[in-house]
Amino acid sequence: MSADEDGRVSNDNGLVRLRRPSPEVASPWRSLDERDQTATYLASIGDDLGEATEPPSATSRRTFLQFLGASMSLAGLDGCARKQPAQILPYSITPDGAIPGVPREYATAMTLDGFATGLLVRSSEGRPTKVEGNPDHPTSRGKTTLLQQASLLQLYDPDRMRGVENRGRPSSWEALLALLCKDRSDAGAGLRILAEPTASPTFQRLLGLVASRHPGSKNTFWSAMPVLANTLAGAQLALGKRLQPRLDFARADVILTLDADFLTSMEDQLVYSRDWAARRRVASPGQAMSRLYTVECALSPTGTMADHRLARRSAEILQVARAIAAQLPTIAPELRGAVELDPAAARFAAAVARDLARCAPGSSLVVVGERQPPWLHALGWAMNAALGNLRTTAQAEDPVLLEGSQDLPALVHDMQAGAVDTLIILDGNPVYSTPPELGLEAAMDQVRERIYCADYHNETASRCTWVAPRAHYLESWGDGRAYDGTVSIVQPLIEALHGARPPIELLGALAGLSAPHAHALVRATHPASDWDAALQRGVVNDTTSPLVAITFGGAAAIAAALGTTIAPSPHVLELDFYLSPTVHDGRFTNNPWLLEQPEPTTKLTWENAALVAPALAKRLGLANEDVVELVCNGRALSVPVFISPGQADDAVALWLGYGRSGAESIASKRGVNAASLRTRSTLAFAPDARLRKLGLAQSLASMQTQRTMLGRPIALASTKAGYEANPGFTSEHKGEVASLMKPVPFEGLQWAMSIDLGLCTGCSSCMVACQAENNIPVVGKAEVEKNREMHWLRIDTYFTGEVDNPGVIHQPMMCQHCETAPCEYVCPVNATVHSPDGLNEMVYNRCVGTRFCSNNCPYKVRRFNWFDWNKRVAANQGSYQLAHNPEVTVRERGVMEKCSYCVQRIRGAEITAQIAHRMLAPGEVRSACQQACPTGAIEFGSLSHVESTMVKWRQEPRSYAVLNDQGTRPRTMYLARIDNPNPELA
Amino acid sequence: MRNVRVSFPSWSDTAFRIALLAMVALPLALVSALLIWVRTPYYENRGYVNDQPVQFDHRHHVADDGIDCLYCHGDALRSKNAGVPSTELCMGCHAQVWPASIALEPVRRSYYSGVPLHWNRVHKLADYVYFDHSIHVNKGVGCSSCHGRVDQMALDYQVAPLTMGWCLECHRDPEPRIRPFDEITSMTWKPRAHDDPEGRALVERYDVQKKTNCTTCHR
Repeated sequence: MSADEDGRVSNDNGLVRLRRPSPEVASPWRSLDERDQTATYLASIGDDLGEATEPPSATSRRTFLQFLGASMSLAGLDGCARKQPAQILPYSITPDGAIPGVPREYATAMTLDGFATGLLVRSSEGRPTKVEGNPDHPTSRGKTTLLQQASLLQLYDPDRMRGVENRGRPSSWEALLALLCKDRSDAGAGLRILAEPTASPTFQRLLGLVASRHPGSKNTFWSAMPVLANTLAGAQLALGKRLQPRLDFARADVILTLDADFLTSMEDQLVYSRDWAARRRVASPGQAMSRLYTVECALSPTGTMADHRLARRSAEILQVARAIAAQLPTIAPELRGAVELDPAAARFAAAVARDLARCAPGSSLVVVGERQPPWLHALGWAMNAALGNLRTTAQAEDPVLLEGSQDLPALVHDMQAGAVDTLIILDGNPVYSTPPELGLEAAMDQVRERIYCADYHNETASRCTWVAPRAHYLESWGDGRAYDGTVSIVQPLIEALHGARPPIELLGALAGLSAPHAHALVRATHPASDWDAALQRGVVNDTTSPLVAITFGGAAAIAAALGTTIAPSPHVLELDFYLSPTVHDGRFTNNPWLLEQPEPTTKLTWENAALVAPALAKRLGLANEDVVELVCNGRALSVPVFISPGQADDAVALWLGYGRSGAESIASKRGVNAASLRTRSTLAFAPDARLRKLGLAQSLASMQTQRTMLGRPIALASTKAGYEANPGFTSEHKGEVASLMKPVPFEGLQWAMSIDLGLCTGCSSCMVACQAENNIPVVGKAEVEKNREMHWLRIDTYFTGEVDNPGVIHQPMMCQHCETAPCEYVCPVNATVHSPDGLNEMVYNRCVGTRFCSNNCPYKVRRFNWFDWNKRVAANQGSYQLAHNPEVTVRERGVMEKCSYCVQRIRGAEITAQIAHRMLAPGEVRSACQQACPTGAIEFGSLSHVESTMVKWRQEPRSYAVLNDQGTRPRTMYLARIDNPNPELA
Repeated sequence: MRNVRVSFPSWSDTAFRIALLAMVALPLALVSALLIWVRTPYYENRGYVNDQPVQFDHRHHVADDGIDCLYCHGDALRSKNAGVPSTELCMGCHAQVWPASIALEPVRRSYYSGVPLHWNRVHKLADYVYFDHSIHVNKGVGCSSCHGRVDQMALDYQVAPLTMGWCLECHRDPEPRIRPFDEITSMTWKPRAHDDPEGRALVERYDVQKKTNCTTCHR
């Protein structure tokens, strides 16, 4: 393999494999190794399935042949006895409307960080098997995040707490509830409740009852990352009232985000994603689209979608924001004044300010992330006010979350003083997630009864006297409020697996109810509402919060607050803490789907790492997997380094949620506990960290460096101006290619997919949806390192441009269902064949595992079962198997598998339509990835439905087929990504 | 050095010829034996009567009482499973008919305890086969085409081979076997001749599709 000066890549035979990409076409790289063409990279080329690294390690070929002989002779014995027949257990009394074999969907809601999102959950013979968004729910609108998709597997986690325990000995719910129900002589002065943030109306009602029964009791809400704390404080400063923003990305022409990953990390992300996507889809050249500016530290999915991105340490973002605000012509006079910035940031700030000011009043938007201090949120309101956005894009509503009567430090102080005799912890894992300096763990010894209702025997459970299993949302009644205030009822689909109960029953007992039952408690909270309709639709009507009229009047207060801030000194290392995009704050760290889910920008799996900028790594002589010692706030942590292009220099980013030391078998000892380096004042980022190379190495399982496209133009991109000037820039990547193969007949339904790269944010919801729908096993970290992961759908991330501030393109890649599929010709046993409706079919029961097909697949989307993952990996076994979709085969060892376009959904819909004597309607079949995608970047359907979005998309000028020159005629077409850069900053 | 002359006995030529023949014949015999073995009714599980928790007699219910198949197996119209009736359905009649019969004791126990009857499965397809009753019944494939003369069986047993080749016989050539809807549950309906125009007419009327691609059944 060599590359000449022209950028032409030729293979060992000297045959030119591809043309030089046209200027509009980005020449992307997938890893720093690939960009610099290092020896490691060149050696890894072609190693797509892990075969070149080493043979299967468990059994040698010789042993295998021995087993083969033995099993053949034993096989004869099998015929001697008739097999025990399988059993059929019909219902004794059929539940109303249940038809065995026909899955049913129930509306329910999942609460995360206090906000509920409406979901529709599929129940197959009584087992919940798939989570989808509820189209009737205002903050889901039919879409889901990857955490919601994966929450299904939490239900079946074999490590969940199995029963009530008192001081390590089995006890009962009755004993615990009786204890809670007892009268107290101190009017509740020694009673404290520590809970996760919540907006549940039932929780609120019961807290009120507890407060009237025990007036001295206090409650505290705590989560690993504050939820809206800075946001509400900022609104107080700017608007004079604690209000939560309600943002409208669909009306914004220019968006500036300040440390705000609104596409994947903010509370209302599904709504934001969809609204943003509505203004980013370029249906034809010349169509207007919004422009996104992002200032952030670590590269987030929002940053990857930005037209211009400025990477700065989190503490520097305030300075940049001040500079932008000061240059807005209509800003309050108190907020003017020069701000010192480095030249690059100053140029960025000036251009952004001019662009914002150019917008018509009310058609821009400034978004500030929760990680930033209140005064920056207030400054954001000031900018939005100056730009006239307060009645359009940036409005506000009353906060939805309940407020505690005491904050956590005060609670710990009371505990240390011995003023607390009963502490009730409802969910969360405070011993793990609180900063060590608070001393919560030690203070707990001063409390006589520490009662904990949670999912696992985790760090907090080991410090408590009573532990009780918390019910999963799919097995208990409850309620919750969405970000916009809409109330949803949480409806169970299954009887509690381990006798678990929801925290509201504990509150009910505290309130003096002798036998609290969640259903009755929730029902009593909503007496007036139409209960059946609320359950069926998944929302309680007329509960959405009204908008609050706001006026900005805090300029002087903001100026005063800003006056007290100090600009961070240059070249001081900052340590940044982020919630993990996959395991969140640690509550999902025992979830195998999420552990093996590549993080959107680094593609790291199973562990966290210290993310550093390439420039910092170069200065300190760091390479990937070098172990460093991070010292911060007087504590040290050894952690491997991962170089992350696009991260701010002088900043180290760490994800929370790892380094768990509880009794969960999968979570324990994976990665490091970043929370242990935090203090009360540095929950999001800490200045003045130190980093020292230890001279050790620790392997990291990144899915990013494994596959390569050999520099060929795979993920195409252009700019809005470039698209207008040259609409046909993808024309050489589509259309007929001369072929010796017989043309494919186009009759009846012909399935195909269109994917708009301009909308794919890399959020990975589709990947988990695919995993859940298609029974895809996890393989474990060691096997991921050998490239043996099984994901049918992967998201390839391509970087373009400079390493310090690269452009990023996400490309979902799965079987392309080629009309002339190269895999089909080479299969010796016809295990992969073409269907008349255009599907590339994979027949597991025929496959003998030659892997020729994968070898011949130009897209490298076929995955091979090196082992019987379902029997070999604990993370696929036992009760986890209850999550399996009964409509899809569970594959065994030695067979190939790949994306089937969700053929089980196609065939199911066809049967339904045929029985009803009608044709399949456009949009009737949705693939799992399409259904989950928050931005709607994936469209699926039949080519015969010419009016469908899917077909219209592929007729746009910017559509193209990946590796079209190979003549494979793929059925999946991509739409080149279009960015909208500001010419001033070009 | 002594000159040793090795001499073979006279039968060694015969032994060599037999050995040569065996080297060819034995593998052939083994392969043929396996091919025959997988085609035996024993291997295909045909004609074998499983024990069942209740001595349920299809002859009596279908032939004597004239109960339609769909009365108990109505899910065959709308689900992939034809379904075994719930205990509740059994008791619908047997609360009045033979309410004290010893033979029905397991049914009453199931009804009052809520513990389902544990029937032994008779028709078992491989796990990677996704057969759907509803589409077959709604396209005019009758019960007896696959399940045989259930009206003549005491305990149910498998009649058809249920092999892929057997499925494909009909999937490739449905005309002789497609029935009018009012004959779906008939036990006496006989397949027509291949070129019978009625078969072709029904295939057209019911839009019966000759689906033989893999994902029709394997997903």
